[in-house]
Amino acid sequence: MSNDVATRKEVKIAKAGRKARRRNHNFSGGDRATIATFVGVPTLIHIFMVWIPAICTVLLSFTFWDGIGGLKNIKWVGFTNYRQIIQLDADFGPAIRNNLYWLAVFALIATPLGILLAYYIDKNLKGTKFYQTSFYMPLVISLAVTGIIWDYIFNSDGLINSLLGNNTNDSAIDFWGDPNKNIWVVLFIASWRHIGYIMLLYLAGMKSVDPSLREAAAIDGATEWSTFRKVVVPSLRPVNVIIIVVTIIESLRAFDLVYIINRGTNGLQLLGVLVYDNILGSSMRIGWGAAYATLLFILCIGPIIVYLYQNFSRED
Amino acid sequence: MSDMINEEGVSRRSVLKGAAAGAAVVAAGGLLGATAGSTAANAANVTASFGSNNSNPPGPKEDAAWVAAAAAAGIDVKLNVVDHNTFQNQINTYLQGTPDDVFDWFAGYRMQFFAKKGLLTPATAVWAKINADFAPGFKAASTGLDGKQYLVPTDWYPWALHYRKSVWKAAGVNPQSIKTFADLVAACKVFKSKGYIPMAMADKGGWEAMGTFDIINMRTNGYQFHVDLMAGRAKWTDPRVQKTFANWKTLIPFQNKSPLNETDQTAGTMVLQKKAAMIMMGSFTSGLYTNKADYNDLALIPFPSINPAYGTDSIDAPIDGVLMSNAAAKNLPAAEALMEFIASTKFSDTITAIAPGLFANKHAKVSSDPFIQSQVKLVNATKHVAQFLDRDTRPDFAYPIVSAAIQKFLTGGDSVAIAKNLQAQWDALPPA
Repeated sequence: MSNDVATRKEVKIAKAGRKARRRNHNFSGGDRATIATFVGVPTLIHIFMVWIPAICTVLLSFTFWDGIGGLKNIKWVGFTNYRQIIQLDADFGPAIRNNLYWLAVFALIATPLGILLAYYIDKNLKGTKFYQTSFYMPLVISLAVTGIIWDYIFNSDGLINSLLGNNTNDSAIDFWGDPNKNIWVVLFIASWRHIGYIMLLYLAGMKSVDPSLREAAAIDGATEWSTFRKVVVPSLRPVNVIIIVVTIIESLRAFDLVYIINRGTNGLQLLGVLVYDNILGSSMRIGWGAAYATLLFILCIGPIIVYLYQNFSRED
Repeated sequence: MSDMINEEGVSRRSVLKGAAAGAAVVAAGGLLGATAGSTAANAANVTASFGSNNSNPPGPKEDAAWVAAAAAAGIDVKLNVVDHNTFQNQINTYLQGTPDDVFDWFAGYRMQFFAKKGLLTPATAVWAKINADFAPGFKAASTGLDGKQYLVPTDWYPWALHYRKSVWKAAGVNPQSIKTFADLVAACKVFKSKGYIPMAMADKGGWEAMGTFDIINMRTNGYQFHVDLMAGRAKWTDPRVQKTFANWKTLIPFQNKSPLNETDQTAGTMVLQKKAAMIMMGSFTSGLYTNKADYNDLALIPFPSINPAYGTDSIDAPIDGVLMSNAAAKNLPAAEALMEFIASTKFSDTITAIAPGLFANKHAKVSSDPFIQSQVKLVNATKHVAQFLDRDTRPDFAYPIVSAAIQKFLTGGDSVAIAKNLQAQWDALPPA
């Protein structure tokens, strides 16, 4: 084992040496110009389109500004926006709670279900193509149509209430308007879309796993569960990273679904909606919107950095 | 749920007047093109641009008609129609970018706000010419905090209890007998016993129920308190606010169970379909009554008196109109000519021919339609006219703060805690 590690290190050093030599000798002026262009232009675009706006957003979160007039109308107020949001904004608590629900449901239910489906579909059961298409379908349908479909199902005179025999307005279950219920309905719909997405990503990854690995495990007498856990999952590490990042990002940046339902009010508040409404809505509290955006950024980037760091340091 | 909510009543009346938007807009687009083509030849005309938020039917038809009338009167109008929700959301950027000379907007705080920020051109010169055509109330509503007029008011509509005559007749309730709040509650009980939803309520968009808050507050505490509350001179923690909420609470058992899942359209449809007995809504709800027989069955009564000291002396009757942006300063004679045209009866009569309504110009033709006449009567009998909650207070307070608070109240939130939070949020607003 230690021998093995030593060999790998030598190989690495040798590779590094080759790279260094190549850098010194083989690049002509034209090559350098090409590389400078191909690296420089995207870097500049990245800085201008991503980092400068991001830094400005963080700066604006410490100010009062109604978006009208030039820089002279921006008033520096320190942490006031953050304090007000946390202490006063009636939407802050529900928004954080809903984003965390979203994350929990995606991480604990939707993503594992997607992986499970991918695992079974990969076994080429009868009708695989049909299942594959069915599970992926929700992602193909536009959100507006998704909204209509589920409205027919959950509305007060929709499918579920009809099946339950609740056909008067008073006895019907209010799935959309009741702030204690609507978030779960929305999470159900969001999961319905997310499962297909994860399934497809994982399926693509699993196609690249050498089937002989599984066969060998089966011959060695491994159970299905331990084959999955000890053979399939570890050999899909790059895909796993993508899936975890996708799950976190999708649940924290959630916006569109609740926005078409009720513009993210009444039980469906989300951080993404609050960013949008404060910056672009008629209220124009740019400082609040920027503070929400900063909070969202911290929430998003925190777990991802931790995860990626752990993952890559393990690989080294 | 899939339809985007018409946010804060940008021309709510026209929003509701049609359902199948697509085809009509395309058709009107063709009309507009033809108009522009036919008038471009007239070299003597002045040219001004106009930003319209009147994107929903019959808006495009109305726009096409008055643009043609303006061309005949010597003003070529470059019409720029923006989807009304987008127009609303982007108004700040629009006014700071390259706005049209003249554009659709509202009276009240939402006009004063832009005037104060220096984004508008005063219309005092226009008002010097049109003064005699408007009642003093309209002039006051068109005036900014600096005492200058900015708005040319076009049309308006009252908020009242709308109902179908046939439903009340079938239930044996006489609309004229509803004089006090107790009468209203008694009528609601009758409707409930007959299987109707006594009062349709919507608040999915966050604005629909504001009309009910306004009217109960004005009936309970008077117009002055309402105005003071909106302007921040009175406090939300004032016990009078609790009286308003308490009165509203009396009506909640008579509302449909899920107001937060209903829009002005779906709740209005409950009345149209005779499932609900009445709705507290702007008269634009008539837009749902596309069938003539249904429309003739529609009527309104004022919200009854709660506190005898105030009777029924106030209503919400928002005024829509047009403003001149900063860009108009570079094209002032043409922009002012356009403002003057829009103030004239040539404008209002053109619109009336398409969709009758209440116009601000006192010489405007008033339709003899009984429903329009009942609106006129209601307005004439009223001493104080408020604009509507989202036009009487700071825009950053109305949304999302008050809208969320009312939604919370309608889902059983504690009104004392809600009022306390409202005051705390008002106090935390950046200086205007």
